[in-house]
Amino acid sequence: MMRRMRIGVTATCAAAVLVLAACSSSSSSSSSTTTTSGPSFNEGVTSVINPSTAKGGTITYDDSSVFDSTDPGNTYYAHVWNFSRLYATPLMTYTSTPGAGGNDLVPALATAPGVVSDNGLTWTYTIKPNVKFEDGTTVTSADVKYAVERTFDRTVLPNGPSYFQVLLGGNAATYPGPYKDRSKNIMGLTAITTPNPTTVVFHLAKPFADFDYVVAIPQTAPVPPDKDTGANYQLHPISTGPYEFQSYALNKQLTLVPNPNWNPADDPEASQLASKIVVNFNVNADDIDNRLLAGDIQMDIAGTGVQAAARARILSSPSLTKQADDPLSGFMWFFYINTKVAPLNNVACRRAIEYAANKITLQDAYGGSVGGDLASTAMPPTVIGYQSFDMYEALSKPNGDPTMAKQELTACGQPNGFTTGIAYRSDRPKEVAAATALQAALATVGIKTTLHGYPSGTYYSNFAGSPAYVHSHDLGIDIGGWAPDWPDGFGWFDEIANGNAIVPAGNTNIEELNDPVVNNYLAEMESASSTSALRAMLANEIDHQVMSDAVMLPIVYAKSLLYRSPALTNIYVQKYYGMYNYAVLGTS
Amino acid sequence: MVTFIIRRLIGTVFILLLVAAITFAIFFLLPRLAGETAYGLATQYVGRNPTPAAVHQMEQTLGFNEPLYVQFGRYIKAIVAGEHYQGQWCGPPCLGYSFKNQQPVWPQMISDVPVTLSIAIGAAVLWLIGGVTIGVISALKRGTIFDRLSMSVALAGVSLPVFFTGLIALELFSYKWPIFPNVQYVAITQNPYLWAKNLVLPWIVLAFLYAALYARLTRAGMLETLNEDYIRTARAKGLRERTVIIKHALRAALTPIVTIFGLDLGLLLGGAILTEVTFSMHGLGLFTVEAINNQDFPEIMGVTLLAAFFIIIANLIVDILYSVLDPRVRY
Amino acid sequence: MAPLLEVEDLRIHFQTDDGLVKAVDGVSFSLDRGRTLGIVGESGSGKSVTSLGIMGLNRGSNAKTTGKIRLDGEQLVGADQSRVQHLRGAKMAMIFQDPLSSLHPYYKVGDQIIEAHRAHHPGVTKKDARHRTIDMLRRVGIPEPAVRVDDYPHQFSGGMRQRVMIAMALVNNPELLIADEPTTALDVTVQAQILDLISDLQSEFGSAVIMITHDLGVVAELSDDILVMYAGRPAEYGSAADIFGRPEHPYTWGLLSSMPRLDRERTTRLVPIPGTPPSLIRVPAGCPFHPRCRYTELVGGRRCATEVPPLREAVTPGHAAACHLTAEERARQWAKLSAGRVPDDATAPGADEAAEEPGAREPV
Repeated sequence: MMRRMRIGVTATCAAAVLVLAACSSSSSSSSSTTTTSGPSFNEGVTSVINPSTAKGGTITYDDSSVFDSTDPGNTYYAHVWNFSRLYATPLMTYTSTPGAGGNDLVPALATAPGVVSDNGLTWTYTIKPNVKFEDGTTVTSADVKYAVERTFDRTVLPNGPSYFQVLLGGNAATYPGPYKDRSKNIMGLTAITTPNPTTVVFHLAKPFADFDYVVAIPQTAPVPPDKDTGANYQLHPISTGPYEFQSYALNKQLTLVPNPNWNPADDPEASQLASKIVVNFNVNADDIDNRLLAGDIQMDIAGTGVQAAARARILSSPSLTKQADDPLSGFMWFFYINTKVAPLNNVACRRAIEYAANKITLQDAYGGSVGGDLASTAMPPTVIGYQSFDMYEALSKPNGDPTMAKQELTACGQPNGFTTGIAYRSDRPKEVAAATALQAALATVGIKTTLHGYPSGTYYSNFAGSPAYVHSHDLGIDIGGWAPDWPDGFGWFDEIANGNAIVPAGNTNIEELNDPVVNNYLAEMESASSTSALRAMLANEIDHQVMSDAVMLPIVYAKSLLYRSPALTNIYVQKYYGMYNYAVLGTS
Repeated sequence: MVTFIIRRLIGTVFILLLVAAITFAIFFLLPRLAGETAYGLATQYVGRNPTPAAVHQMEQTLGFNEPLYVQFGRYIKAIVAGEHYQGQWCGPPCLGYSFKNQQPVWPQMISDVPVTLSIAIGAAVLWLIGGVTIGVISALKRGTIFDRLSMSVALAGVSLPVFFTGLIALELFSYKWPIFPNVQYVAITQNPYLWAKNLVLPWIVLAFLYAALYARLTRAGMLETLNEDYIRTARAKGLRERTVIIKHALRAALTPIVTIFGLDLGLLLGGAILTEVTFSMHGLGLFTVEAINNQDFPEIMGVTLLAAFFIIIANLIVDILYSVLDPRVRY
Repeated sequence: MAPLLEVEDLRIHFQTDDGLVKAVDGVSFSLDRGRTLGIVGESGSGKSVTSLGIMGLNRGSNAKTTGKIRLDGEQLVGADQSRVQHLRGAKMAMIFQDPLSSLHPYYKVGDQIIEAHRAHHPGVTKKDARHRTIDMLRRVGIPEPAVRVDDYPHQFSGGMRQRVMIAMALVNNPELLIADEPTTALDVTVQAQILDLISDLQSEFGSAVIMITHDLGVVAELSDDILVMYAGRPAEYGSAADIFGRPEHPYTWGLLSSMPRLDRERTTRLVPIPGTPPSLIRVPAGCPFHPRCRYTELVGGRRCATEVPPLREAVTPGHAAACHLTAEERARQWAKLSAGRVPDDATAPGADEAAEEPGAREPV
């Protein structure tokens, strides 16, 4: 099939009347500007704004909600992983830099990426000697092993990802974690061995080429076993980063102060500039943007952009627009099209939806071009191996193609359309708008849909993520968003397109795709013989296959309109997180 | 009177048990009736992307497979005698354990009570004094411009929701003219001046709503009372008009107002939800909203019981107060 | 010695949305110390408004008061409000019809009486005021006054409550006591006690009393002089002996004949006054009583309907009536009535006449 030009960006620029400045800078090359009038719109995506080594001051973050946990072993949110770099150092991390390099792995606690041996089954890391915890004790490999071990007890630490349980060999399948029967189980995970205090070896059950990405997850940040208080560790994790906990009123306010035992040479990707960092939780979401713009706080920690009111204010004021960045967040919004709910089990019926959808109204639901770029693939541009293509005229006919849609309807035996349900999260106004827009577009070709809203807290656990519920309630189309745990094709597709990933609750392969082509590609990506070039190519192939199966209706590659507080120094967008890098900030 | 109070207190315990049972049923019986399984319930308590094994483990820990009355019994027992959760001891009163936050519920609520108290009591003083004064003046100057104006403003106060007036107040007095910058709760023990300064906007916004109500109530009550025969007698005795208005008329008109005040305050102590959310102050109201958003049942249960307790006690105090205020009422 | 109270051409009008209410329209009388004046009339005759007007209690209700009220030589109409307030409860006091609603339910009776006393004697200590209060309660016949001084109004029976009101009114030794229907809300047996009490206290304190009532029996008991009011106007004014013995006004005749009396033959029929009292917004032109009067034909021309009869001295000095009938005619008619002869048209309603006369129509 033809590979289309990347016309997506220009098309959205034409639609955005107000953002003339945005057009010129977002399609420009990634060279830093040195205008005398100060930084410009989107400059934080490609350059460091306000570089400075000055120390002192307080940085205040506001959170409209709470962290799932401050415990680095118990969290699964991008902004928390970002923030945890201030007090937790995992084995690997991402280079702290603006622009494309922000997706590159670099050793953090480790001295080098993992050394692979044994046909891809063994990964050996050497950790830097003399790295200290906040209390002055030296970090050893046993602390790293223990940090991973404790995540195995899902009753104490239920929130983090479960890659280690799935990937590691030895007794990983039955290891209960170090909290039950501590005398027997502490250090009892045979899949991790520590031959000496600076070496930690992981024994995998099967080869997994992306393992360096896995150890970049904060779960490998060392935890001293004698200071581990289990569920209460979140109140004061023992820091290996530039800051330590001074006080934490759970879900109310967190205060960090510099860690005197941190050595900057041990972690060049983080900085210790501000003399105090404060996070306020459960702040009124309608008010955070006001506080940010008024200068009462310096950052909205969620990092997903300002709300509609502030967006309008920023875009209509040139002085405010210069202090905003609109990066790709790494997120993608789309609709899953379930393959089990009739008549969507027929691929032609699914393709009809692809053609009938009105991409422009869907994009508007997410805030127009500022909220995201029109998407035509199942994988966003931030994933390694991405190439643009357009199978269903999403870019060439963004308002939809009713003619083609009706052809597909005839092909699947439903010439007059059919009925199905659209599921979405009712407490997310953008999703409400998107579901409504899709309903209207599908109705024009005779596809009648009923809308079903659910609370976001239980959307994945009880509703869209429960195949039984989806089937019994005819939820053929389910909205979703996805961000990869790491930026390559496996990290993107495995949970959402692998036939083996379908589970009865908390399911993320909501379209219930079980395509052997895709499954095989995914297996091949992680085999011992895979190289990064191969993985990039396979990612692209999976993308095409998934789109050909028409199990995902892409909406937008999400962008976040972030406001860059002028009080902050060293501020730029870290490509991996799709938001500002919190580990390097200072204040003037 | 003492037997009356004792009887009511015993009744309180029963009502709270009933409230707990109903809340319990809503969260556990209703989903069961709708076809939810214990497994499905348990998935709410594990994080994102749980493995089936993890969900089963959570099921066991939370005891979802046990019969409902056993689960309820354990919950009640924990309130009185305490319970172990995930290796932590949750001492009496153990109003449940939040698995989402992995903390006992009671200490979290207790730390929020001072915030709600600060907001509620401060606003209450304001609205009682303000509302009653305006109501009295309006009644005395009935039909004049003052009366019409104050009643119109009162109508606005009653009709405008707190999150609207609150956001407007912030916009004007915190951002546009930084008279009250950076509004957030500061404990009185930490800094009494900042405590009061940051509470001024929430106090005024909340009091505005209630003052309007109380002004109208007081005005109506005063107008009615001023027509009573004993007011005529008071004047006939040659008392000064001010004495007649305050000591005779207002005293009688205030009785129903005081009782309503007790009920309003009792409700508010359970959480001035809209005010706390608007101004991002961590009181019981914000706690409630967070608990609901997270579908954190133990927290919802805990705050429901605490709020119910405040309301019941407020009712009791109001009834006692009524018999103190009105000598014709005796128990 | 000058009279304690002199009322001259008192008019009290209220401006309402429906029109001008002439509640009191030209009342005059005088009252000496130690004497009792009974003011008699139906509901709406203006008797209560008159007494409220004397006390200055009509202030708040857009009342327009003209005429003269002289209390011990001091003009009260148009006087400074604070002056009148000063006199209220001290020089002139009033008791009301329903003692349950007239006493503040939230305060002890002792405290209410103490308040009345200390409002006019600011130097008195609470202790002394309390002593005096207990004393007053004893004097009005409350048993165990030292205990009951701390009771609330609802803890007393109706008769006791009225005694409390009387104690409160008399605690400052007023020279004028106005009693507005003091026994109407009480049982008959209690009525007698209260009336006796008022009478005793009057002789003891030497105060003047105005007794307002619609009950002629009450008036007969206590009054030295009687003022009969109708539709805001005085109908007849004289000593009790004159009013009961030689009444000079058809309205008074009607009142007396319609009253059940023990000294009448049982077989004689009660003669009600036909018709109903008029609305005070549309007071009939001329004599306000004329639509209900049987004797209008005996007056020449249509004077009853057009000319307001002034209060004119009749046969005996100090006895006046407002009627166009000549004194001789009145005497003749009264003689007939008191002989027991019922006029022929006793049951014929004067309502027909009322319907024909312009200005006498009741507003619908």
